[in-house]
Parts: sequence; C-alpha cells; structure tokens
Amino acid sequence: MTTPLLSIEQLSVTLDNKKVLLDLNLILEQGDILGLVGASGCGKTTLLHAIAGFTKISQGQIIIDGKVLSNTKQSLPAEQRQVGMVFQDYALFPHLTVKQNIAFGISKLTHSEQVKQVKHLLGILKLEEYANKFIHQLSGGQQQRVAIARALAPKPKLLMLDEPFSNIDARLRTELMLEIRSLLKLFNTTAIFVTHNKDEVFTFADKMAVMANGYLLQFDQPNIICQQPNSYQVADFLQLGSWLPCLVDGIKASSLLGEIKLGSNKGSEQGLRYLLVKPSQLQLNEDVSVNTIANAQVDYISLTEQGFHYYFSSLDGKSDKKLQFSKLSLYSHIVLSIKQKVRLSINPHAFLMFTKDQ
Amino acid sequence: MIALNNSKTWTLSNYLLALVLLIPVLVMLFGGLTASTQLFLHLWQSVLPRYLENTILLGFFVVLLAVFFGVISAAIITQTNILCKSLLRWLLLLPLAMPAYLIAYLYTDLFDYAGPVQRTLRDWFGWQSPNDYWFFDLRTLSGAALMLALVLFPYVYMLVRGAFEQQDQNLIKASRLLGLTAKQSFLRVALPLARPAIGISASLVLMETLADFATVQYFSVNTLTTAIYDTWLGYGDLGAANALASVLMLLVLFVVLAEQKSRKGVRHQSSRPSINKTVIVLTASQQFFASVFCWGLVAAGFLVPLVMLIIMVVDYSSVNQFSLLVSTGINSLKVSVIAATITVFIALSFGFYQRFHANKFRHLPLRISGFGYAIPGTVLAMAMLSTLGPVDHWLNDIASYAGLTSPGLILSGSLFAIIFALVVRFLAIANGTVVNGINLIPHSLDYAPASLGVSFKGSLIKVHIPLLTKTIFVAWLLVFVEAMKELPVVLLLRPFNFETLSSQVYQLISDEMLEQGALGAILIVIFGLLPIVLLNKSK
Repeated sequence: MTTPLLSIEQLSVTLDNKKVLLDLNLILEQGDILGLVGASGCGKTTLLHAIAGFTKISQGQIIIDGKVLSNTKQSLPAEQRQVGMVFQDYALFPHLTVKQNIAFGISKLTHSEQVKQVKHLLGILKLEEYANKFIHQLSGGQQQRVAIARALAPKPKLLMLDEPFSNIDARLRTELMLEIRSLLKLFNTTAIFVTHNKDEVFTFADKMAVMANGYLLQFDQPNIICQQPNSYQVADFLQLGSWLPCLVDGIKASSLLGEIKLGSNKGSEQGLRYLLVKPSQLQLNEDVSVNTIANAQVDYISLTEQGFHYYFSSLDGKSDKKLQFSKLSLYSHIVLSIKQKVRLSINPHAFLMFTKDQ
Repeated sequence: MIALNNSKTWTLSNYLLALVLLIPVLVMLFGGLTASTQLFLHLWQSVLPRYLENTILLGFFVVLLAVFFGVISAAIITQTNILCKSLLRWLLLLPLAMPAYLIAYLYTDLFDYAGPVQRTLRDWFGWQSPNDYWFFDLRTLSGAALMLALVLFPYVYMLVRGAFEQQDQNLIKASRLLGLTAKQSFLRVALPLARPAIGISASLVLMETLADFATVQYFSVNTLTTAIYDTWLGYGDLGAANALASVLMLLVLFVVLAEQKSRKGVRHQSSRPSINKTVIVLTASQQFFASVFCWGLVAAGFLVPLVMLIIMVVDYSSVNQFSLLVSTGINSLKVSVIAATITVFIALSFGFYQRFHANKFRHLPLRISGFGYAIPGTVLAMAMLSTLGPVDHWLNDIASYAGLTSPGLILSGSLFAIIFALVVRFLAIANGTVVNGINLIPHSLDYAPASLGVSFKGSLIKVHIPLLTKTIFVAWLLVFVEAMKELPVVLLLRPFNFETLSSQVYQLISDEMLEQGALGAILIVIFGLLPIVLLNKSK
C-alpha cells in the first residue's frame, strides 16, 4: 500500500483554553482535492493553520509524505513544511510586482531557474502581460491567479486554499473554479480548500469533509455524503432537506403528518427522532374539507424556477410540543396563500432519521 | 494563530530595554519622594505653595484660553461658510510650530515700555512717563498664559475640528427635523458630542503647559519647572530639585489618569461621512467677526512673530551670526539624528514584538515606554542626573580602584544623557506611528512568507520593513523635529559649552539679544512646520 500524502491522526487543538479541534482523523492521497466545509467558527481555518504550522497542536500528529510535521513533542517551523497556502485575502505583497511575488518563495534557486519557473507559471496562469504590474493594478480574479502561482512556485507537497472564491464575483466563480481545478490536476497537487459554500465543493473537490464544533463529522466523496449523511448536523448544514420530528417506537413512528412505517432494520430504536424530508417526498393536498383534516399551514412563499416554494408549519397546537414542525419545505405549481391550511403527507421512501446530538 | 517568533531572548531584550527606559524616572521618583521630611517641610514652608499655586493657575488659564480659541475656531471652520475656509483650515494649525518662549520674547519686545507700540502711543497722545497712562504688562502669569495658549490652541482646534467633521450628520439632521435651528442644533447636539475631543485636547494642552519652562522663566513666573531649574543650576541642590520634579511628575500623572478616566465609557464619533453638510450661513457682520477671530489667531500665533523674526534677520544678519548658526545647527542635527534613529529602532523592536510574539504581555514594552511623552523635559533631565550621576561616580571609583585614569562624567556629562532623555521623551511618538503602520499590514502577510518557505527574519527584511518604509520615515522625522525643538532637556543636561539651536536661541532671549539668533529661531519654526505639513498631507 502506498503511503498517503497527508495523514492526520487524533488531532486536537486548544486555543485560549478552548478546544477548537477534537480528535480529528483525515487521510488524503496524492492528487486528492479536499473540500472542507462547515459553519464559520467550526475549526476549518484552525485545521489549515495547524497543518501549515501556524497553530500549536495539543494532541495527535500531522504527517506529510511520511514525515512528521507536528506532534505533541515537536513542531516543524512553518517555513520548512513545504505546505503552500492561498490566503482568503490572497496576502500578495503590495510592494512587489507580479513576477517578484511569484518568485518570492524560490529565492534559493539560481536566477535563471527562477526566471524559467516564473515564466512557466505566468504562462499557465495567463498572467504574462501582467508580469511587471503591481498587485493593486490587477482585478480580483487576476490577483487570485497570482496568489496561486506564488503558492505553486516552490512546488509544495500540499496546497491549502482558505475560502479562495469568496472574494470573486459570482458570475466568474464557476469558470475560475474549473480553471484552478484543472491546474491542480495538471500539477497533480494535493489540495485542501476551505469554504462555507457547500456548492463549491461539488465543482471543485474530489472529497468532502464536514466539520462542526471542532469535530470532523463526515469525510467521503461529496455525492456519498449527500446521499448518506451520517448525522443530523451534516444533513442540516448541507441543507439536504427539512426536518419532521417523529416519535419512533420499533418499526413505526408517529408524527404530526401521520404514522410512518419504517423498515424492519429500525426495529430497536425508541424515542424522538428527526426525519429528513426532501421536498419531493412530501405530498400536498390543498383541498381540505370535513373528510380531510388540515395538518399544516403556509408560512412563507417565494417564486422559483421549480414553481412556488413553500414553508409549512404544524397546525395541531394541542399535540406534543416536541412533534411540532416548522419550515417544512416543498415546491409546487399549486397557488396557495399565506396561512392557508393544507394537508401534507409523506411518500414512502428509504427514511433517514437522526437524533439531534448524534 | 500562534505567533511566528516565540524566542525568549527576544522577550527578555524587549523587557530589559523598556525597563532601562523607565529606570531613571523610577530612581528620581524614589529619591524625590523618600527625600527627608525636613527638606519637604522646608520647601513647603518656603516656596512650594507659591510654585504650586502658580503652576496650577497657569494651567487653568492656558486651558481656558486654548479651549476658547480652539473650539470657536473649529466651530467656525466646520459649521459656517466663512470666507477662505480651506486656507484658514490649515493656517490655524501653524501656531503649533512657534515655540511659546519665542513669541513671549517677540511680544514683550513689541509691547513693553521701550517697544514700538508704546512709543507710538506716547507720540500720538503726548504722554511723557509711565505715570501718564496705563498699559498692560505682558510679563505676568496671565501674559504667560496668553502666550502659551496662542501656540497651544491648535491642539484643541485640530481634535475638535476632527470631531465635528466626523459627527454623524443624521444626528444633526434629526435635530433639525425636531425643530432646532442650525445654531441650536450646533449648541445642543454637535458641541456636546465633541466633548470627548475637547477633554482630550485640553489635557494635552495642560500637559504641555506643565512641561513649559522657557516662557515662564523668561516672564519670571515661578512655577515648578523654573523652580527645578533654579534649585539645581542655581543652588546645586539635587535633593530639593528631585523633590520638586517628583511633585511635578505626580501632578502630570494626575492629569493623565484624570484624562484616561474621563475617556472611559465615552463612545466615539460615528464614521458616517459628513457629505452634503449644511453650514450656517453667516451674515455680513458675523462674517467680519468670524474672520477677525480666525485671522487674528493665525496672525498672533504665527504670522506676526514670523514677520518680526524675518525683519530681525534682515536687519541684523552677519557672517558672525551665520557661522554661529552653522556650528550650533550641526550640534542640533547630531543630537536629533542620533536620538531619532535610536528611537525608531526601539519603536520597531517593540512594535514587531507586539505583533509577532505569543507572550501574553507583549504589549507591555510599548505601553511602558509610551509614558515618557507625559513627562516634562525638566523632570526627565532631573531623572537622568539623579540616575546617571551616581553611575558615573561609581564608574570613576572602579577606575581609580583599578588604577586607571578617571573617565569623568562619561554618562551624565556627555551627549549620552541628552540622547537618552530625548529617546525616553519622544519614544511615544515613534511607537504610535510605527504601531499604526504595522497595524495597516494585513495579518495574512505575516504568515504568507512562512508558507513560501521564508524564515521569520527573512519576512521582516523582505516584507515588513519594505512595507513600513514610509512609516519609518515619518516616525523618524517626527522625533527628529521634536528633538530639534526640545529645550529644557538640553539646557539641564548639555555638556559644558555645548549649544544647540534651541538652547542658543533661549540663551540669547535670556540675554535680550534674540536679534543675534533670529535665523536660528526661524530654523526652529521651519522644523516645527514639517510635521504640520505632514499631518495636513495625510489628511
């Protein structure tokens, strides 16, 4: 078996007596691009800084290419780690030209080698005409390309990008993501990029890691995580659907939308669970009368390309408070008005249920 | 993020440096306050109450006048449509460049019995002797207060003007919609909002007044600074001089603390830009009085004294005077260049330490070393004497014990003491400028070099120092100018026969012979203009 390029084992980081990262494990192979997602403050940037050597670790170890960079006893200085970084604000040196910025990390090479490498990178990143310009003379996208060229110049073993697309105009973003992805693939560079925008991961990354409160919740291919989220937090952060509280008792569960028959494999579970409901799994009956009792009302309406988007909340005020729901999401071409009462039901499907503290 | 450099030696050297800067003042305070009760009793029974009273009265009058001049001129410039507004806006800063002792001398020259004003009046009205008419005497406590206020009011003007300009215009608009006239809304909204700025600038003026030595000395108003000077240079009584300096130091400390306490809990101005500001439209007579007020301040605080100096230069310039100027100018340059360079190096060291080190108390060296600006030069000079003097004696004892020739007063009697005192006094200016400059560098630039394989030292040399070039120059220039202007430190600590521009000008003033040094005085004013020009440009 080949050695993984990056191996993080049981990593914990404590900053100002606060545990920021807890028992984190992660393995990346050569050439992998990892998208690290999570709400702000979940520890994403701290993880990058721990790998880069800007943050002390309190437990575990970080190994790159078989070499221990950090453990509890030692910490290789940041400048000796061969880990490149593209900062959120690019951190380009304003007093240097584009060419000088790119050459900054390769000053140990001979002059001719430096010139050759800078020229090569300028060519690949389509920056030749800006070689002698200063940073403030460039657009945001051009600046980002310079930042990437500068980070790639010393041929880092691992490249980290901290929210690289957050300052880029939304219209250019996708194009730029594809461009940089093909560049990283060209160099076979292993990369980690941090984002709070889950959609970027699908375009840019091969693997996805979801973090919350210092924990790494799930690490897998993006499509697998979306089909099989392993916890309430992961599904909730990725907004894979809305939540219907249910009281599970063996193979059935009761909710304010009626009883749900679960598969036999759920037989041992008991208690309050949250059912992940995708809009397509909800059935809407707007024609409520004496025979069909309404169980939800419209709280919010917006217009989308898939018809109207509605949020519903539970109607049954007398029932168990724990079972009441809100913001149950559904798309429909049927016209409803705000506070209109309707009856909702769940289509049978492979149910995904979680507890909140899972 | 962790700091990029956690070296213990770095911490130690910065703390040590800060401590060294602090030691002389501590030694003086300790010596002064533990002086024999008999000495204090004697001072208290003889001169101290009078000196204290004069010092406090002077401070009170100067603050009163400076606030009056400063707030009104700031209000006129920001709130009305006064003619030549953009010109007056910066002209009103110019008096800052004029040393108070200089205008004290020039106005005395102008207004005393033998001066042109009284002579003209006597000619006109046929008066024969002083008994025939009354004329004010400038050489009094209130005269000194007026002189000081004329050159210190720009502090108030500058800060209050800034406060007015940064005020949230929506507040003013709201008050207008609630039925207030422009004048009412100024008095009831804008002025109370500017109170913190008035407070801060008033305390600055008070500290400058407490530090003044030459004006009061020239006017023979006995304050604590003149008492320290006379006690030491006149009677050679180091103990009593130290005790007086300690009292003055405590007074200054009280002002600093009071200012800090009053600033607590005060929310600062909003930063909503004051575009489309409505101004009070002055009537013709208001326009006249406002113009007379502002131009009067510019003229009295700057233009008239400058013209008088220029006339003196034209009338009295000689080769002799010029060669004297060159030799003292070189001395001034030498002292100021060395002091400014050392100061900026120390400020950079403290600034980088604060930025990069992980130490919990990494701000301390900066904080500790910033105290010097509040200490009057006279006090600082006493601190140097009371610390470096004993060290010199000690060194001489060691030398004689070892059978070497005695080195003499190599610390207290040389430029070392002057430069040391200048560094302590003006480090706060360099600290402030350097820290502002460093704070403008995004933190990501601290980390980027390391991510590119460049060491901490490499990053300082290749990134931070180049980015700070302008800041370093400004900090250096500001300290250089202050050092050029500094008087009491030089007067008390200069080696025998060593004159700087300011000490020479002061000497000539004392001897009523400023004409001989008018060129030097103009040079001091020109140096004083540099930071004002700089300040105006950065705005």
